[in-house]
Amino acid sequence: MLDKQLSAFLEEGLSIHIASRNDRLEPDAALVAAVRVEADGQHVIAFVPTVAVHPVLADLRANGQVAVVCARPPDERGCQVKGTFVEAWNARDDERSLVASQWERFRDRLEAIGLPRVATNGWVMWPCTAIRFRVQAVFDQTPGPGAGAPIA
Amino acid sequence: MSVTLESLASCWQGLIPATLYTCSLDGVPNAAYLSHVDYVDGRHVALSFQFFNKSRRNIAENPQALVRVIDPDTSQCWALRLRLVRSETSGPVFERMALRIEAIASYSGLKGIFKLLAADIYEVLSIEAATEEVALEGAIRGEGREASSGDPRFTMRALQDLSVRIHQASCLEELLDSILAGLDEIFRFSHAMILVPAEEPNVLVTIASRGYPETGVGAEVRVGEGIIGVVAEARKPIRISGLLRAMLYAHAVAERARQTGLCPPDRIPLPGLPSPESQLGVPLLVRGELVGVLCIESEERYRFHEEDKTSIELLGSYLAIAIQNMQLHERATSAAEDETAAPAETTPVSAGPVADHGPAPARHEVTFHEADEIVMVDGEYLIRSLPARILWKLLTAHERDGRTEFTNRELRLDHSLHLPEIKDNLESRLLLLRRRLEQKCPDISLVPVSRGRFALHVAGGVTLTTRP
Repeated sequence: MLDKQLSAFLEEGLSIHIASRNDRLEPDAALVAAVRVEADGQHVIAFVPTVAVHPVLADLRANGQVAVVCARPPDERGCQVKGTFVEAWNARDDERSLVASQWERFRDRLEAIGLPRVATNGWVMWPCTAIRFRVQAVFDQTPGPGAGAPIA
Repeated sequence: MSVTLESLASCWQGLIPATLYTCSLDGVPNAAYLSHVDYVDGRHVALSFQFFNKSRRNIAENPQALVRVIDPDTSQCWALRLRLVRSETSGPVFERMALRIEAIASYSGLKGIFKLLAADIYEVLSIEAATEEVALEGAIRGEGREASSGDPRFTMRALQDLSVRIHQASCLEELLDSILAGLDEIFRFSHAMILVPAEEPNVLVTIASRGYPETGVGAEVRVGEGIIGVVAEARKPIRISGLLRAMLYAHAVAERARQTGLCPPDRIPLPGLPSPESQLGVPLLVRGELVGVLCIESEERYRFHEEDKTSIELLGSYLAIAIQNMQLHERATSAAEDETAAPAETTPVSAGPVADHGPAPARHEVTFHEADEIVMVDGEYLIRSLPARILWKLLTAHERDGRTEFTNRELRLDHSLHLPEIKDNLESRLLLLRRRLEQKCPDISLVPVSRGRFALHVAGGVTLTTRP
């Protein structure tokens, strides 16, 4: 589902957000600090700051529907991965370096487009909750003609 | 709601992308980045509908949405629960959003491709602070903020100060300079330019500027291109904040358009500052007639506030009347004085004073390209159109008859110059020519002698050549 190229892109250190919905079909969302694509290309783990995970995780446990959108400053290349929830756990210490590494690369990108690192110093990016989901579809999200087209 | 939409004014500037979350009727969530969330009133926001078609389809099925915006001043993220009320394809909110997008699109050659299809108006049901993207310690959270000390204040006193400067101006040149100096010294808008309609239809030409290393006088902008051209076309003010990010977004769209077979032309260079973050364009209108465009720029991301736009729009009306009155006054007085004054004398070439420019001035090769009506000096472009024809007439008379003084009236009566019979804007064209010469070839200069009369000084001599 996710080839090596797309997997590498997702793990570059991007702007990433996770979306869910409750039983009233109201959306919920949170920032994602990092993602990891499993070797089979069928599963993705999103690391969501635990302070913000509650409504999203509650939705996922109730109905399983998840969407993760990402974009890369400064060229705005982006995609959206939709799937179904598999499991969640408190992110382990051995996963922390992956999270920190992607998050710092994202902050480097922000700095390059004029948002200084100090602006995000207050954001709480750890501890995280790891949310694992199975990929159902991937869509192009780069702005412009063709945005929204399936790419996997 | 404890936090109000008004208190989140910084969030509506488009400095940091917002995210929109929707859900289809069959329960699949969707997320998308948004170029802009616009404030409508105390209970409503507007989202731009351009490309996020899945979001739009979801909203048609299920009007509930969530949008997350980040305050660029505090870095606090706010989650707004929304419900779609209506979509607008006309009206003030749509026009404001559409003009901003159009101006950015035109910089990337995307006018007509990258455009607003509708302004979707949402009722805001709740506002909550996000718990992970939180404000920095000590940052102000949501409460109304005072303008920073660097922000301008449109007080009656400040406007009166500007008005006094304007009233003291005795000619168009002084008026334009006093406007730009006033904007800088009173309101701290230190990078600004004024453009006026050129002789060629749908073209504006820069006649005065302040705060740039190069004056840019003579630089042209086509109507509909960039913020200045879009302001001239729409005859409405446009304010853009976070221009760098907006340009990156537009560039991404342009790249995608090229990949999909659409071929937008090359990007049009931004005027003035190399990397402006904020731009404000104001049409200078008198009874619906476009007298010019005032463009103010800043390297700050959020320099111009909504209330600035309103104040400057009012100021623009005043400046437009002042500029037009001065143009009419100069024309009337120069014609009147001309009729009573002696004709311009024919004086020997050597009689003109030579400006002190250090080493002996060089002889210049001046070429008039007849087909394009362009004057080149030493192989470099100087000016075109009417000012080029005027300069060529002056230099030819200078070389042939040794003349050094000329009157505006004789230029008006010279049919070979093809001045329009009504509103010829001759004084504006002479000012433009004088400033181009100051900038590009100071050895040739036009010096006002009295109202409607000026001297041509040529230091070092010229060789005149015509090309078909």
